[in-house]
Amino acid sequence: MRREPEFRRLYDEHAQSLYAFLLNFTRDESDTRDLLQEVFVKLARNPELLDDVRDERAFLIRFAHNAAIDLIRRRGTRERTRENFAAESVSPFAPANDPDEQIFRAELAKALAGLPPDQRAVVHLKLWEGLTFEQIADALAIPQNTAASRYRYGLDKLRERLRPLYEEMKRTEQ
Amino acid sequence: MNEEMEQFERRLSRQPFRQVPAEWREEILAEAGRGSKVEGRAQKRLWLSSLVPRLSSVLWPHPVAWAGLTAIWIFIFAVDTSLRDRPSVVVISNSSPPAEIIVEVRQQQRLLAELLGPREPREADRSKSAAPRPRSEFTGILSV
Repeated sequence: MRREPEFRRLYDEHAQSLYAFLLNFTRDESDTRDLLQEVFVKLARNPELLDDVRDERAFLIRFAHNAAIDLIRRRGTRERTRENFAAESVSPFAPANDPDEQIFRAELAKALAGLPPDQRAVVHLKLWEGLTFEQIADALAIPQNTAASRYRYGLDKLRERLRPLYEEMKRTEQ
Repeated sequence: MNEEMEQFERRLSRQPFRQVPAEWREEILAEAGRGSKVEGRAQKRLWLSSLVPRLSSVLWPHPVAWAGLTAIWIFIFAVDTSLRDRPSVVVISNSSPPAEIIVEVRQQQRLLAELLGPREPREADRSKSAAPRPRSEFTGILSV
C-alpha cells in the first residue's frame, strides 16, 4: 500500500467511531465489517480522496454512510423488511454490569432500531460523536435544518419510548 | 422541559458502544493493501487498453495514408527478411583440384590460344600503350 502507515493511523483513530456508526445503522455485525472494510479498501484504491480533507472524521462518516445507503439499496425490499425487525437484532451498546443499566441499554437499542435510518444516523452523530448540526449536515450531505429537525424528531421518539424506564431510573437514583 | 431534555440527552450520550473487534484491524488493513495493489495493476491495464483508442485518434484523420505507409513498411521488411534468409555462403576450397581437371583446363587454354592466334601484336600494342603521351593525342587516336 502506498500510504500504509497513514492508513494504519486512520484506522486507529477512526475505526471505533465508524464501527459504532455502522453498527447502529445496519444492526448487523457482518454488514458492519463488510462496510468498514469497503471504506478502507476504497480509500486504499483512491488515496488522493484524502488529499484535501480538513475533517477526517466527518469525511469518513460520510463515506461510510454512503456505503451503508448503497448496501441498503442493493438489497432492496428484502432488507427493508429486515429493517423493521432490527429491534431484535444485535445491540450496538457494550454490555453493562449494572442490571438496570443493562436493561436501559437494551431498550435504547430497540428504540434506536425503531427510528428511520436517516433519523438514527443524525441522532447517532449528535449524541455519540458530538458533531454540530453543521458538521452532521456536511457529513450526511443534507441541509443543516434537515439535520436539526431529524434530530428533534428522533430524540422525541426515543424519549417517548424510554420515558417509563427513564422516569423509574431517575426515581431510583434520587 | 429543556433541562429535562438535556439530561435525557446526556444520559443517552453516556451509553458506551461496543468495541470494534481487535482482529478486524489486521484483516481490514491487509485487504485494503491488496485492494491498492489490484488497483495498481488495473491502472496498468487501463493504460494499455487506452493505448488503442489513443493510437486510433492519431491515425483516424488519414486512415488510407497510414495504411499505405504500413503496407510499404511491411513490404520493405519482407524483402529485407527474404534477402537476409538466402544463404550467401562463399565456399573457399583450399584443396588443389584433381589432376584430370587440371589437364582438362590446360587443354582448353591451349585450344583457346590456338583460336585466338599469335600473341605478338598484342605485345606490341601493350608496349605502345604503356608509353605515357599527352591527352590530346588520345583524341586523335579515337578519331582515327
